Amino acid sequence: MMTALGFVAAANAVIWIGLWIYLMRLDSRLSVEEARSGGTKN
Amino acid sequence: MKALKWLLGPYLLAVILAAFFWPQPAKGFIGESSRIVFFHVPMAWAATIAFVVAAIYSIAHLARRSPESDEAAASAVRLGFLYSILATITGSIFAGVMWGSYWNWDPRETSIVMLLFLYAAYLFLRGAISDPERRGVFCAVYALFSGFVMPFLVFVIPRVATSLHPQTIINPQGKILMDTPTRAVFFGALAGFTGLFFWMWDVDRRLERMKRHRAALE
Repeated sequence: MMTALGFVAAANAVIWIGLWIYLMRLDSRLSVEEARSGGTKN
Repeated sequence: MKALKWLLGPYLLAVILAAFFWPQPAKGFIGESSRIVFFHVPMAWAATIAFVVAAIYSIAHLARRSPESDEAAASAVRLGFLYSILATITGSIFAGVMWGSYWNWDPRETSIVMLLFLYAAYLFLRGAISDPERRGVFCAVYALFSGFVMPFLVFVIPRVATSLHPQTIINPQGKILMDTPTRAVFFGALAGFTGLFFWMWDVDRRLERMKRHRAALE
């Protein structure tokens, strides 16, 4: 049976993986948009 | 940079799992409550960095008046505010376990509430002024003022007043009172969450820049 500590650790791990995937996708989409608009850097 | 973003995923995952399973709970703390140090302190640390970054970019904005520096400062404040809320929540969880109440108006708790109000006012100020040039200057001056007040709320007041808060990393003995696994995970978390802040800041700034460019085209 999963302990309370294991449950909290798993919940934290899932939250982090979710946030990381979201940030990676957002970052890639932004890069594509920036390239399409001729580079909006500065 | 791209490789670092890829690496941050498994790196922080390892840090999170290590925080729960590697070091033994610290002595003198109830149950596993001491493990919150691996999350609470990095959140407070990242918030402090964010507010320092906001002050630096506010100076840059007052000198150059470029929209980029205004956006960079605003983005840093937004993220600093978010990290401060997370530091407050994690601190409150610790207080609930250790002190028997989630909120005690301890000097640490009071000073972080003051910090949240200080930067919430910045966000309200941004929302209240529609002219971008005036907004930029007003907000830069306010963020600079807040940048001077912030260290007193974070570092001075909680150390002057008697607090239930455990000894901080920068303590009167000048020693890091942690065993090797705790120290490794703690500094690993500090580095990881600092990296996460800078990544989120970069993404947020680029989003703001993209919005500005789109608005200019319309």
